[in-house]
Amino acid sequence: MKPELSAPLIVAVDIGGTFTDVTLQDAVTGQAWTAKTPSTPRDPSEAFVTGVRLALDAAGRRAEETGRVLHGTTVATNLILEGRTAPTALLTTAGFRHVLEIGRADLPRRDNLWAWVKPKRPVPPSLVFEAGGRMASDGSELAPLDEEAVRAAARAAKAAGVAAIAVCFLHAFANPAHERRALAILAEEAPDLALTASVDVFPVVREYERSMATVLNAAVMPAVSTYIARLETRLEQAGIHAPLLLMKSNGGVAGAAAIGRAPAQTALSGPAAGVVGARAVAAAAGVENLITVDIGGTSADICLIAKGEIGLTQTGRVGPWPLPLPMVDMVTIGAGGGSLARIGADGALTVGPQSAGAEPGPACYGRGGTEATVTDAHVVLGHLPPSLLGGRMTLDPALAEAAIARVAQSLDLTLDAAARGILAIADNNMVGAIRVVSVERGHDPRDFTLVPFGGAGPLHGCALAELLGITRVLVPPAPGVLCAQGLLAADLKAEFTRSIAEPLDGADLARIEAAFAALEAEAIAWFALEQVAEADRRTRRVALMRYEEQGHELSIPWTAPEALGAAFAAAHRGLYGFDLPEVAVEIVTLRVEAAGALPAPAPSPPHGGSAAEAMVGRQRILLPGGAVEAPVLDRARLGPGAVFPGPAIVTQLDATTLVGAGWSGEVHPSGALLLTRG
Amino acid sequence: MSHCDPVTLEIIRGAARAAQAEMEALLERTAMSAFIREKKDFYTALFDANGAMAVGSDLPIFGDIVAPVAGRFPIETMREGDLYWYNDCYGSRGAVSHSNDQVFLAPTFHEGKRVGFVMGWAHFSDIGGLRPGSLSPDATDHFQEGIIIPPVRLARDGETNEDLLRTFWRNSRFPTQSQGDTRALMAAVRLGEKRLSEMAGRFGPEVLEDAFRQLLARTEATVRGKLRQIFPIGTTRFADAIDTDGHGNGPFTLRLALTRTEDDRFIFDATGTDDQAPGPVNLLMHPDVPGMALGLYVLQGTTGQVLNAGAPHAIDEVRLREGSLLAPKAPAPLGLRGLTMMRLLAALHGLVAVARNGEAPAAHSAYVVIALRGTAEGKRFLMSDGIGVGYGARPFADGTDAVYFVAQENYPAEFMELTYPVRLRAYGLNRDSGGPGRFRGGCGVIREFEVMADEAMLAVRIDSVKNPPWGVAGGMNGGSGRAVVNPGTERERILAPLSDGTILRKGDVFRIETGGGGGWGHPFDRPADQVLADVLGGFVSLERAARDYGVVVREGTVDEAATAARRMQRPATGLFHRNGYRDAVA
Repeated sequence: MKPELSAPLIVAVDIGGTFTDVTLQDAVTGQAWTAKTPSTPRDPSEAFVTGVRLALDAAGRRAEETGRVLHGTTVATNLILEGRTAPTALLTTAGFRHVLEIGRADLPRRDNLWAWVKPKRPVPPSLVFEAGGRMASDGSELAPLDEEAVRAAARAAKAAGVAAIAVCFLHAFANPAHERRALAILAEEAPDLALTASVDVFPVVREYERSMATVLNAAVMPAVSTYIARLETRLEQAGIHAPLLLMKSNGGVAGAAAIGRAPAQTALSGPAAGVVGARAVAAAAGVENLITVDIGGTSADICLIAKGEIGLTQTGRVGPWPLPLPMVDMVTIGAGGGSLARIGADGALTVGPQSAGAEPGPACYGRGGTEATVTDAHVVLGHLPPSLLGGRMTLDPALAEAAIARVAQSLDLTLDAAARGILAIADNNMVGAIRVVSVERGHDPRDFTLVPFGGAGPLHGCALAELLGITRVLVPPAPGVLCAQGLLAADLKAEFTRSIAEPLDGADLARIEAAFAALEAEAIAWFALEQVAEADRRTRRVALMRYEEQGHELSIPWTAPEALGAAFAAAHRGLYGFDLPEVAVEIVTLRVEAAGALPAPAPSPPHGGSAAEAMVGRQRILLPGGAVEAPVLDRARLGPGAVFPGPAIVTQLDATTLVGAGWSGEVHPSGALLLTRG
Repeated sequence: MSHCDPVTLEIIRGAARAAQAEMEALLERTAMSAFIREKKDFYTALFDANGAMAVGSDLPIFGDIVAPVAGRFPIETMREGDLYWYNDCYGSRGAVSHSNDQVFLAPTFHEGKRVGFVMGWAHFSDIGGLRPGSLSPDATDHFQEGIIIPPVRLARDGETNEDLLRTFWRNSRFPTQSQGDTRALMAAVRLGEKRLSEMAGRFGPEVLEDAFRQLLARTEATVRGKLRQIFPIGTTRFADAIDTDGHGNGPFTLRLALTRTEDDRFIFDATGTDDQAPGPVNLLMHPDVPGMALGLYVLQGTTGQVLNAGAPHAIDEVRLREGSLLAPKAPAPLGLRGLTMMRLLAALHGLVAVARNGEAPAAHSAYVVIALRGTAEGKRFLMSDGIGVGYGARPFADGTDAVYFVAQENYPAEFMELTYPVRLRAYGLNRDSGGPGRFRGGCGVIREFEVMADEAMLAVRIDSVKNPPWGVAGGMNGGSGRAVVNPGTERERILAPLSDGTILRKGDVFRIETGGGGGWGHPFDRPADQVLADVLGGFVSLERAARDYGVVVREGTVDEAATAARRMQRPATGLFHRNGYRDAVA
């Protein structure tokens, strides 16, 4: 998919709760245009196409020049989080009707045993049907599939009015024959329903997690399919015949057809796009070890990228549900601009996870909120300009002060001490999460550059860095709309996996080779589906290995078998500080990672002048040592090489950067703002 | 002493929680035994410089962890890099209450000054003893329950005494697992030590000290205040019994009395409890446990609170009788104290129910553990399977179905079949085991196994069979568990619910059914559509819906007329229910 000269335009569309942002870029010249239009929640495709048209108009280009359309959708995510998925049935192995209901029989470690209420499953047990037939863990058939039971289940599910049926049988990852046959029968009996088998979602061991993934996939399929079909129709009508590619939770994109079959792969694509964008920004600035912090209104997503490699996890969650699909390895905590500062009956001050959300929002928005939020604390301390979004939203400092004053009085603190305290608590919660991410990956955060983004990220970058001992902070050129950057930078990506369970010592190499070959054949079929040219295809073999009887595997790039043991031991030592030379190592899973390179657009360099030329005013900031009049700089007027000392405030359309005292800023030739500390 | 302001206090609480999360992440990812990494039977805590637990886990069973070590190694002689270890139940006065639980404790220093302690705690799957898994219903003597490690100094100045570890590993039937788990736990404690030391550096040792002091005082004040709201002046009593000790003895009755004096002191008295048991159901209860357990109960719904050693301080005096089930004399066996502990926790709720006329959770079943051991393909195996039960209904919600305990997870069927010589034939909810009520008690589970090894020995541990978990405020008792071999065949036999030594052969099937939780409120007050959903979902049978809930279901819908007629005949109730309504359960 090389950019044809006749179709050099790449379009990236990011649909947020309030606005739909469109970025249009000419892949040949690197020139870019953006457009913003109000989102249309009832039919998001409307704003999608409106935004694309606006961008084309702004660029003065024709629809036919579009070479590809990239999109990150939150349709699946929102359906799952809001419990609005389609009525769905699950077909399971006889004897396991309550697989979803029981789950892992656990109660979260941080919840109170006596207060916890189990979340309602997306499929009630009355819609779970059993079918006889059994595979063993080695893939041999113990009992044939009870086809009549499958037909009966299809009829019963239809009678119950479901829109989708998921199939997940025990040990299907070892032998999918029963699932395949059941799917064929269901297609005969219920051709109008969305159908999904676990082997097509993700064939990994652990039946509850796999069943949940399959169920969620089936349950979002009708809505996602409808949505994609509508998008494609509208694009056609607008004269855009370019392929539509959608962001996945793994940080790659895939074609609409592939997503239609496995829509659960998009469930965490929003934060993933931001991470991919942050990596692209960092790469352009020559940074390959980074920790990204994406701070929005209610939550913060944190991800560690070492040597330019975005880690994947198969133990991610969406809301209360496990979703064992490859997704960007990050943690999310309830800390954002709207996080509420509250004082308990016992006098304890907490910040988050409750949030003022978009409505009413922080008190300073003047939309009826009265409780103190993180954003109000920033306003009180003078960190934010009087208006945001290029003047579209004004902030009311009196309302922010009134809200913070209530906290201050309860704790017998001054106004600015209370505001500073609220920020310190929020920062501390994020620092805790960053450390957990680091220890899980075996790294010291001080070796990393912090990349804050999201609307509120650049306000916290310097403070977080100081707490972590980090001396470099890189603020992207457009930190508030980095998802679009991520879409433009993403490659086509897919993973193909097989559970295998072989001891490393005396492994059946022929079996492994055959399994890898089969996975690579799947990858080739996928490349063809996505129309990836031979030259742009990349595959990588990975073995997921562990010490015998450990619970978690490490991903080790496949090498000569005799070198694998040493590679595994070294990885284990690096991550956990020890290895166990006398313990046997197992290969648990084989994975082929496939990527289809998409041409990266040429960067568009910033233009502008020195810090003095960019200064648009001064603002009073309350520092612990007293108030200072800090310069306010307009990011759009800061050119490459511009340098300035902190404290300073850098404003731009989509975010505000607070440059702390003791920090200095410099605009990198790539357009990113690099903040460093002495 | 420097004062810690409310903002710094919340930051320190957050940092402590993050340190725990880091330790737990490291432990979970590197431990070797399924008991730790799949079942997640591990906990962490941070202590102040004097050894008071300042930030614990939300677990109701902790005693005074540091005192047993300090008794042997005076705190002031400890040095940076030291690591202490024990599992000695009698030697720790019940801080550890069965020997499988290993406690690793590191004193933590900042610039040469002791600023606190860090604990890592995990259940090791085999530490020797009478039978694989070290816990056996057959035990009659604590020395049969695995190697006993008194409080020892495992490391001095950072130098580990490897000989001690080798001795420990040599006593396990699965030394590799034991070794992996030890390394993981030590690494986690060292990480916590580093974090606590960093906290002292960041905030200053004096501020940290004051923060811990405040966290302890805050928890104590909150717990004491809540207890005052619950308990009137005078003595509140509640008693309940465990069925058996597995050796033909029992029931054993726990008799609890909580007195609030005129001058607002709380005295917990369990001296009326029956004598200790010959079998391993004795609970060597640390005197801190009633306060920790009641603390966890009353802290629900509070934000920003941590369960710590402040909770036991809210109880001014704990009276136990040496030689009783809750204060056994050495060397009485202790291995299966979990079922007594779970019964005790429900009995504490019984005290609340009496004091507040039913505004308390109904009783839960004790979690169930089975062990299957043998040899398959020339390799020794041990399958210790923790199985969920139903928890009690509450005045605001149904009881939880199929949960084991805080943070502990089940083994997936696919994992079991890949790892052990068994096949799982069924794993589902145990219908009708949830006690009927306005809020239904949680259901237990059914887990049915087929043995694939040539021969294996089965131990089962199920309580509350004769004395099912009570319902309250009009709610009815939950169902009982049982263990059956070859159900539905001519060779069917029911196993004693607390037993070991059952020999099973290839092709034998055994089925474990676990008990539910009691119900809360009158079952006739449960909305009919919820009863219908329970029937369609396999929680409640048609017969029991009609009999207990007065809801008649026909062809998948509620027969409104028949239901109204039935619900006219509403039975009278009592405060508690166990095989009939009554004012007290034992």
